[in-house]
Amino acid sequence: MKSVQTEVLVIGGGATGAGVAWDVATRGFDTVLVERKDLGEGTTGRFHGLLHSGGRYAVKDKLAAEECIHENLVLRRVAANTIENTGGYFVTTPWDDPAFGDRFMEGCRDCGIPVEEIAPPDAFRAEPRINRDISRVFTVPDAAIDAWKLVWDCAKSTKEHNGKILTYHRVLDILRTGDVVRGASVRNELSGEEFDVHADVTINATGAWAGKVADMAGCPGVQVLAGKGIMIAMNHRLVNVVVNRCTMPADGDILVPIRTVSVIGTTDIRIKDPDEPDVTQAEVEQMLDDGEKLVPGFRRARALRVWAGVRPLFKDVRAPETSDTRDVSRSHALLDHEARDGVTGFLTITGGKLTTFRMMAEETVDKMCEQLGTRRECRTSIDPLPASRTGKFYWLGERLSKREATMHEDQLICECELIQRRNLERVMKQRSSTILDDIRRAVRLGMGPCQGGFCMYRATGILHDVERIDSWTANRSLRDFLQERWKGVQPILYGDQLRQARLDDWIFHGVLDVEHLPTDRLEDRAEREHP
Amino acid sequence: MRDVLVMGMGTSGLVAALRCQEAGLKVTLLAKGVGSTHLAPGTIDVLGYDPELVENPSEALPRFADRNPEHPYARIGADVVARSLEWFSERFDGYRYTGSVDENFLLPTAIGSIKPSTLVPETLAAGDLRKGGRLLFVGLRQLKDFYPALTAQNVANAKTPSGADISARAVQIEPPISGEADVTGLALARKFDDPGFLDAVATQISALVDGDEAVGLPAVLGLRRPREVWEGLQEALGRPVFEIPGLPPSVPGVRLHEILVAQFESAGGRVVVGAEAVGADTEGDRVTAVRVAAAARIKPFVARHFVLATGGFGSGAIEMTSSWKVRENVFDLPVMGVPADGQRFSPRYFDRQPMGRAGIRIDDSLHPLDGSGRRLYANLTVVGACIAGSEAWREKSGEGISLSSGYKAATTVIEEAM
Ligand SMILES: Cc1cc2nc3c(=O)[nH]c(=O)nc-3n(C[C@H](O)[C@H](O)[C@H](O)COP(=O)(O)OP(=O)(O)OC[C@H]3O[C@@H](n4cnc5c(N)ncnc54)[C@H](O)[C@@H]3O)c2cc1C
Ligand SMILES: Cc1cc2nc3c(=O)[nH]c(=O)nc-3n(C[C@H](O)[C@H](O)[C@H](O)COP(=O)(O)OP(=O)(O)OC[C@H]3O[C@@H](n4cnc5c(N)ncnc54)[C@H](O)[C@@H]3O)c2cc1C
Repeated sequence: MKSVQTEVLVIGGGATGAGVAWDVATRGFDTVLVERKDLGEGTTGRFHGLLHSGGRYAVKDKLAAEECIHENLVLRRVAANTIENTGGYFVTTPWDDPAFGDRFMEGCRDCGIPVEEIAPPDAFRAEPRINRDISRVFTVPDAAIDAWKLVWDCAKSTKEHNGKILTYHRVLDILRTGDVVRGASVRNELSGEEFDVHADVTINATGAWAGKVADMAGCPGVQVLAGKGIMIAMNHRLVNVVVNRCTMPADGDILVPIRTVSVIGTTDIRIKDPDEPDVTQAEVEQMLDDGEKLVPGFRRARALRVWAGVRPLFKDVRAPETSDTRDVSRSHALLDHEARDGVTGFLTITGGKLTTFRMMAEETVDKMCEQLGTRRECRTSIDPLPASRTGKFYWLGERLSKREATMHEDQLICECELIQRRNLERVMKQRSSTILDDIRRAVRLGMGPCQGGFCMYRATGILHDVERIDSWTANRSLRDFLQERWKGVQPILYGDQLRQARLDDWIFHGVLDVEHLPTDRLEDRAEREHP
Repeated sequence: MRDVLVMGMGTSGLVAALRCQEAGLKVTLLAKGVGSTHLAPGTIDVLGYDPELVENPSEALPRFADRNPEHPYARIGADVVARSLEWFSERFDGYRYTGSVDENFLLPTAIGSIKPSTLVPETLAAGDLRKGGRLLFVGLRQLKDFYPALTAQNVANAKTPSGADISARAVQIEPPISGEADVTGLALARKFDDPGFLDAVATQISALVDGDEAVGLPAVLGLRRPREVWEGLQEALGRPVFEIPGLPPSVPGVRLHEILVAQFESAGGRVVVGAEAVGADTEGDRVTAVRVAAAARIKPFVARHFVLATGGFGSGAIEMTSSWKVRENVFDLPVMGVPADGQRFSPRYFDRQPMGRAGIRIDDSLHPLDGSGRRLYANLTVVGACIAGSEAWREKSGEGISLSSGYKAATTVIEEAM
């Protein structure tokens, strides 16, 4: 059996794992990262998109607030290209207690978060759609951050430092000899091949799944509660700054402008299995009503897609039982299994926020160095990620300006997200994935208003050409993409998006008849035999 | 006074309007914009899956209607479907349609599945795979909406009922278009109208053909003179040529629209585009006028008969709000078959979608009905995608329903008017 040898094995390809790999590799260790799906397919790809200023936690959780503002400033330096510097408002709506604003100001000042109260008319001029009954407005340095770009850039830096990123590799078991963890056995989910990765240190960065992986290492009792939250992307930038309700953290109180859309969220419901977060109609209704409070007319805007993510919330087993996961600390937990379980060569890092991923990684790798008895300086707060070396923030017109420059030389494959053919082909070659949903995350293909109605057929044809895959694989890929997309649009099909869905039905069933493409897969045939 | 006001100019509205006008009635055809003709392949698909492949629609239809009593075809009737197809074929000369209700063609789609269609433009027919064949798929480099290699591989793997041998391969050519990498299907179609362009393309393709292959191209072979372009290419290549419809906008659909509108107008019909019906005046079981918004004014359009051909959910004629309430926008007709919360859609995309069948219930003469089956208006008929009871995109029955319901509504109107 093949096996792989490395100094450090990182399990989990979300922000935390990618951040750890980036940190480990840039400190000069041999690094392998394994992720059971694609990078950013866990919570990281299903989050709200907010680079916290810390304002949200300024009253309730000062430690979390301080961590956020610290990291907010670091990431603006080292990950600028993933950030759109939108700024943020905290607003007092008629449903919020105006006095909270004073506590908020005070909390922000205590934590070092730059905060300023502005006159509501000034805010209405800048953001004409927000509720005119808002009575107080505070500005903070919130921003929007692109998690997919972030994890892939961490991966890129890891590779530049000779690390390996193995996506679609699932950890089946942790290898342990006596009290020493020696790596993990993994399975390539695409080829089925199984092999061992031997490592001096294994770092468990599997977010909401961290308890399961710790169990594999024989370190029981790592309880990670799964707190589900849903978000809905609306068709327009209803706002151009992040808008938060100025109140204790609650549901549906943040609206984040991300690229061409804005995202309302979120909820927080404790669920048993992090692999099955579903979206209920009641949650959709709740988000729409909450959106309406921030931006009147919200319900008439077009909802593009809905998704659910699960918060990894580490729970101290000794703390009293609670079912509101929002009360569990948002701060992260680094578990030293040597101290906790007498097991060496194994660390677990879970919880936290995307905003603090870098700091979590630094702390983890510092602990690892301490255990190995070596001192190597952390580079991640100093050296920018590869795509951020110019230090420029992402801006909304970035793709359009590129498109305008090459309009006559290249084809526009996705009109909604302005993705050109050469760029798409390059990414397909780089990722070397036959899964269209991976390509979607890589370039945001099919994420605009038409939800892939036009570009997905094109992308399938191009993938078939570029990757030299056979037609069976291409067909499967398109069908799987359509199924995946359906999950995200089906719960919010009303108004114009229902109309759009009908057009897409006509394209995929009427014009292309994807349902009756030749298939080599049993389940596709079975579906066809229903009445 | 106007005899008939038809709202909507998709296939169903065009057909109803043209037939009434030809019968000597005074018809106004009113529409917000063009219909889904500009998006759809332009084939008249009557019934393709039940859910197994349908080879002969006239044989399948009576059974299908029996088993689906709420389906539009159960109201329209198989005999009317057949008559409407004949009537339709007769409207086209020059650029002709071919086929009959007794058989379905099996035509390659732009991704290479094979799809049953009943009446098709002659320019598509040589792609028929029922008897197998050797096909060459030709891509045009500047058109991003056709991928011949994938199409060819899928077609080669296709299974037809006869099991006949199919072979297929693909080539790409780069037609002479200077300075543009991204050309739309409609723009290409206009270029094909130019004989010089056609010659250049023919020369490129003739160097690539082999044996007795038939040649398939994306459906962009001319907009103004498609028949000449298609025949010219067949002649130059010395072999059958066929078009393959693809992503919207659709060139064959635009041709269909233009031909029917021209006939309606030359028969004396009046077309008003850019006008939206927003409400109606009624007295008891009669509609007296439809209120129309155009140029920032609302004006009543009076007529003796009204045909609702506004296209259902797909065109915005029937809408669902964010509180999941459904409304038909002109007459506020009751919309039937809207599933309860949590049951509108199946979580699996390729499953039956209950919401897909919601629409207006009609009686056998296409008058709208309320929940208890009572006729609501005696001088209003409902046609096309507004009618409840079909998941047309899965059955492959969209234009078949539009054509036959438009035809039948005209019968109702003509009978009542005479
Ligand atoms: C609804 C919601 C909104 C949020 N919004 C924000 C926000 O706006 N701003 C912010 O800063 N934070 C936000 N967060 C928090 C943030 O998204 C998470 O803290 C962060 O993404 C967690 O990253 P992670 O890498 O720890 O976990 P994940 O991204 O879940 O990564 C864990 C990875 O481990 C993999 N894995 C699991 N088991 C195995 C195995 N056996 N083998 C291999 N791989 C495995 C999984 O596939 C997964 O990719 C939000 C969270 C939620 C739920
Ligand atoms: C992309 C696509 C692919 C398709 N592929 C196929 C296929 O392969 N085979 C097949 O058989 N069918 C296909 N169809 C379906 C077929 O085109 C439609 O089902 C059918 O033609 C519906 O026609 P209709 O006349 O009812 O409405 P539409 O064609 O939708 O026309 C509706 C008309 O009503 C007008 N209108 C709407 N509201 C108002 C108002 N309030 N006042 C005035 N005017 C109004 C619109 O402007 C438009 O003119 C496809 C459709 C689409 C969109």
